[in-house]
Amino acid sequence: SSREHKLNFKKSKEVCLNYIQDAMLQKQWKRAAEFLTFYIESLEKDFSTEYMGPSEMIWRIGTEILCHHSHSSMKEFNSFIEQMKTLGVKRYLKVCLEHAFHLLCNGLVDEAYQNLSLAESWRFGEQTVIQDKEMKLIQAYRGLLDYYSWSKQKNVLLEHGHDGFEDLSVEQEMHSCFRKAAVNLKEIIKIPGVWDLFVKCYVDLLEFYGDHNEARQVLNEYAYNSKFPANPNAHVYLYQFLKRHGESKKSLISALKILHDIVPSHELMIDFNTMLQKSKKRKKRRLGLEVIFAALDYAGWKENVKAWNCLARQVKQIVISEKHLDWIKQEWNSRKDWWPAFHFSRYLAKRNWQENESLSYEKALVAGILLGKDCKYFKYISHQGCKAQVKRFRILKKFVNKHNPVYLRISS
Amino acid sequence: MEFPAALFPSYFGTGPPREEGAPAPAAGWGEHGQVLGAGPGRRQAETTFVPRRGGTGESWEPTNAAAVPVLPPNASSWVPSLAPQDILYRGILRRKLRAGKSGAALDFTRQLGHFFVDHPEDAFGSLGQLLHKNFYLGNSKLRRQARDSTIRMTALMEEIDRLEARRGCPRQYLTSRLRWFSHLCRDWLFEVPLGLLADCVHEELLLQWASLLFDDSPTGGALAWLPPEDVGARTGRLVYPGGQAMNHLYFQDVVLEELPRARGSPAQFELNGRIRQVAAARADGEDFVGIRSDYHCGVWRVPGRTGAAPTPLQVIRTSVPASCLTVSPHLPGELAVCTQSGTVYLWSVETGLQRLRHDPQTMFFRDHSPWRWSDFTAHPRVLSCADRTGLQCLDARAPERCHFDLFKVGEEASCQQGERVVLPMYLGKAHPSQHLVTTQFSVYVLDERLPLVPVLKWAHMMKAPPLFAHLTPGGPGRSHKVLLGASRTQELLLLQYRGGSQSACQLVGPPQKLHNIAGCLQHLPTQLPHRHRLLQQRLGAPAAGLAAALHEDGPRESLLVFQLSEAGDVFCQRLTHEAAQPPPPTVGDEAVAAPGSSPLFEAPASSPPGSGSEEVEEEEEEQTFYLSNLEVIINEEEEEEEEEDAGMTVAPEEAKLPQEPRASPQPTLAVPSPAAALRYRRWLKALPKVCRERPRHAWPPTLSQKRLFTRKELEPPAVPSTLHRQARQRLRQAMREGGCIQHWDPPASQPPALPQPPESPGGPDPLSARLTASWSGDWGQWWEERMSFNVAQRQRALRERRRRQKRARGRRSLSASFTSSLTYQSELSELSDAAPPPLSPGPPSVLPREGSPLGGSPPASPLPDEALLSSQSLRCRGIPKERRKTLRDYLAVWAEGPPESPEPPGSQASQLCIPSSQSQLSSASQPRRKRPRMGF
Repeated sequence: SSREHKLNFKKSKEVCLNYIQDAMLQKQWKRAAEFLTFYIESLEKDFSTEYMGPSEMIWRIGTEILCHHSHSSMKEFNSFIEQMKTLGVKRYLKVCLEHAFHLLCNGLVDEAYQNLSLAESWRFGEQTVIQDKEMKLIQAYRGLLDYYSWSKQKNVLLEHGHDGFEDLSVEQEMHSCFRKAAVNLKEIIKIPGVWDLFVKCYVDLLEFYGDHNEARQVLNEYAYNSKFPANPNAHVYLYQFLKRHGESKKSLISALKILHDIVPSHELMIDFNTMLQKSKKRKKRRLGLEVIFAALDYAGWKENVKAWNCLARQVKQIVISEKHLDWIKQEWNSRKDWWPAFHFSRYLAKRNWQENESLSYEKALVAGILLGKDCKYFKYISHQGCKAQVKRFRILKKFVNKHNPVYLRISS
Repeated sequence: MEFPAALFPSYFGTGPPREEGAPAPAAGWGEHGQVLGAGPGRRQAETTFVPRRGGTGESWEPTNAAAVPVLPPNASSWVPSLAPQDILYRGILRRKLRAGKSGAALDFTRQLGHFFVDHPEDAFGSLGQLLHKNFYLGNSKLRRQARDSTIRMTALMEEIDRLEARRGCPRQYLTSRLRWFSHLCRDWLFEVPLGLLADCVHEELLLQWASLLFDDSPTGGALAWLPPEDVGARTGRLVYPGGQAMNHLYFQDVVLEELPRARGSPAQFELNGRIRQVAAARADGEDFVGIRSDYHCGVWRVPGRTGAAPTPLQVIRTSVPASCLTVSPHLPGELAVCTQSGTVYLWSVETGLQRLRHDPQTMFFRDHSPWRWSDFTAHPRVLSCADRTGLQCLDARAPERCHFDLFKVGEEASCQQGERVVLPMYLGKAHPSQHLVTTQFSVYVLDERLPLVPVLKWAHMMKAPPLFAHLTPGGPGRSHKVLLGASRTQELLLLQYRGGSQSACQLVGPPQKLHNIAGCLQHLPTQLPHRHRLLQQRLGAPAAGLAAALHEDGPRESLLVFQLSEAGDVFCQRLTHEAAQPPPPTVGDEAVAAPGSSPLFEAPASSPPGSGSEEVEEEEEEQTFYLSNLEVIINEEEEEEEEEDAGMTVAPEEAKLPQEPRASPQPTLAVPSPAAALRYRRWLKALPKVCRERPRHAWPPTLSQKRLFTRKELEPPAVPSTLHRQARQRLRQAMREGGCIQHWDPPASQPPALPQPPESPGGPDPLSARLTASWSGDWGQWWEERMSFNVAQRQRALRERRRRQKRARGRRSLSASFTSSLTYQSELSELSDAAPPPLSPGPPSVLPREGSPLGGSPPASPLPDEALLSSQSLRCRGIPKERRKTLRDYLAVWAEGPPESPEPPGSQASQLCIPSSQSQLSSASQPRRKRPRMGF
């Protein structure tokens, strides 16, 4: 019968949990809270070896309810979390971290900082892998908060610095913030992961103190270490760093080239294309054409006037100079079976004309050259343009008509 | 295409998932995940932090108490799909097996037995014919000559019958005769060698069980909404399957109003197989609708303007079942098709099929599932390919060379052990490079530009894996709404997320559960128990699709969520967006309509098969139950009459329940709006009309007494009496004419031996007389009369009664035993209460002609003739003493009741139900009938 009793207990626990879930999913926080008070009883006989025991569930559910309940206050939230911290050793760090997040999101930065420091000093036997990770995160977030207070003090100093007023103690405090922040941030960005925020802050610190080599090394590591995920931001940060420090075009281009390889649809591809078009080297101009064609392959760029303008300009240049038509031909070859439907359909012509005239102008130019003067898109736009008596469309028509043989060469 | 300047921090590991895998019931709550700080800007003094999860989202509130039918019920006699109890062991053995933790125990012998009984020709055909002459099934003794070559099987058959009757008895044992027979003929009796047959049955059972645990064929859903071309218009189109086998494709114009309304009749196409998936996308102003059935895929084009007819474009046939069909949002007439052989095709209406990949193996690690999926990406030439282990993107122009991994079940996305991809979906409408991936535990949002690392992850806590998903993109500054739908449990979940271009992706607002189809059951008018059950079954059918339409009516914005069930019914609910004003403190708590069903309600559907939480109840669900060795089979019957008035009462008692301040398991019930109630009524009214196809169940309940006595015991005397002869004659005649015997008239010479109510045949009983008198106002006079009722009169009356009693006792020896039998066998009389009397003088048309031969006429003669039942005659038939009474009681049960039943026969039919559910019945506004008593 004790087994039966246990079974019943388990069953009613499950039923109660179902009620709680049900109420929460319907945003009935009050009802959920009332059920939770019953559910707490399940802690008494918590012999479960389940993946997620009742104490964790109570923490999760309770936190969620307190986040949404109309009558909850920060004080209640804090006392609840403090209780939860004592409930499970394994979960202590996680609860601390989440608590700090909650405080941060509510603007209580100082409290969060205290909490993080407290959690950092916590020791309990051997740490599991997960706990180790959590500890590193706690340290990193504390470092981040140190960084923010450093930057606040920096701003204060800079402002007062203009006034010719210098405060040694503030400066000292700022430096100590720097040290604390740098130590913690440096630790976490060694581990593979996405650490955009931490890397940015760390690099900012290093740059301020003039340690450019270290900063460059950090960014290089973040971008090129194969253990890290292929994060486009890593390359962007590196590129921005190089740009800030006036590095040579060559290194900028090589940084962007890698970005182009991993994310051909990145917004920096416009800059890249402009940079390459200006280049004197044929190879780079060729790459520029490739880059802009590749960017326009993506649905997200479909209506980007800037990108179409880049392509139109470069195509026009090539057509006028009548050199390197084979570049266009090569790019076009892999696209001619789907670009017409993707970019140059009659439906799109109508819509682009209605919504964005300059987009339709750029696209019509490209369409006229790539598909000839009989292409639907070009015909519709030039017709509409001429009807509306816009000068540039008339010029466009003339230009395309004149260079129609180019189309034949490209499409052959 | 902008990329967020900073992403939320996360660890990145490689390899198989490390975290232990188990469905954790509360895993999705209470976490912010990570925070991202927007550093102190030039102007801002303080840093602000945003959480990855838990930000404030938009408020979408359901406007109705439950989902409302959009279309009339699908004309299909939907056969409920296989339930676990159909193929699992029940009873003691199962409990034993469960104790041994051997997982699900498939009832293999029962299935095998079904096969033998249902297909005897296939099972024993040739040997049956060969042995035909050597097996004797009659009752008489075998002649001497015949005995050399023939054996008598009658006793064996009886043993088997008895075995069946003792089913469930713990002391069941095989008699030696049966054991001997089975040992003797196991090797040669069967047409198909038993081992081979058993293998096949077992294999099929395993397959059925697997598909019961998780059926991936409806992945993607078979419901699509084609929005109107211009945003303001109100008429869109719903594409859904229907018909008997869900093989008809409908394109129905639907006007979005308070409740969406179908306009005109739908365009209809009959297809060659059950429609598994309906996929739709708009390219170049036209909708392309892809339809997947097991071996055929087709594509339709639907012009954008309203009223234009859809045109079928192309059909392909596959030799292996197709598992996926998606339509390109970039290029008109392009689709992606996957088959279970591991092949991925790019299908263009103009150029045909292009095979991109053929790999029967899964991508990242070995998984047995042949399910494959493919969808489009931000690049029109790059397709994503998925199996249960992850997603890869490959370039259609060079599929072998150019590919990259987008998602991997592993440490990269910090998955759990045992996690598998259930449904990938391209979220192009929200952000061109985003993808959704659902697993049985979590839901992920991925960005193509940062492969392998999910930009969002959340444990969805759904009870069944989400097989359907729908995206409603939000404009700039708004959140994107993602709907997740499960099949078996009909769960619907609304999530909101934001970001992807300027800011990092954030999950905002709490997840919200929406109404499911089954949830409207509690808002329907009260039904009779068996109809309630049918309705419950119909409404609880697994979901088969999900669609949503955003409707902007001036400043008011609403989201209409459509859900399709496997039975082919389409239900809908409306969510309205409350623009961001600070809500009053209690909103969202009690006042709101309670969506969905309470956990109590969804009990039959909610827990997965074999999880072992609801076994206890299912034992009681048997249709056939055994009552002191008496088998009672109750046939379901459809009622015609109650149909009309059942629809009249809306929102039954539950709606008026006093609202308790305490948290009650049942969430506060909201009443459906009048318009919704009207919809329910109409739908209910139309339901029996479209799915009436059960003439075989139309006959009244029958009692089988086959197992009560052995054949020998009931054997007629050697010389049949005149009564017997007459009865036989009548039966024969009725069979010849194909009619039915309504009144089992005794021989014409005798007056009908109706059991007359012996007491006061003339006037009503004193109480009724008194009541009648007081009702008509002359109660005083009645009292006078009563008081002046002189002694002589009384004595006379008493004497008269005694005499009549005596006579009655003499005439019907049976009735004397009634009182006692009724008192101790109250269950039996309950049963007779419930059963509509076969004798009822109701219209003969109640019994359909085709049901009448043999089966239609009650097996027990409703009016037992005394000769048959007198204890003498019973004794001379060799019926043991203790059984005589049972038999008498039992047959008498049939005889009593009808003549003096107070209600008209029509309403009696509604009393039809099994006794255990009588308590439910009482709510059906039928007063409980007094138990008919007779005998003194």
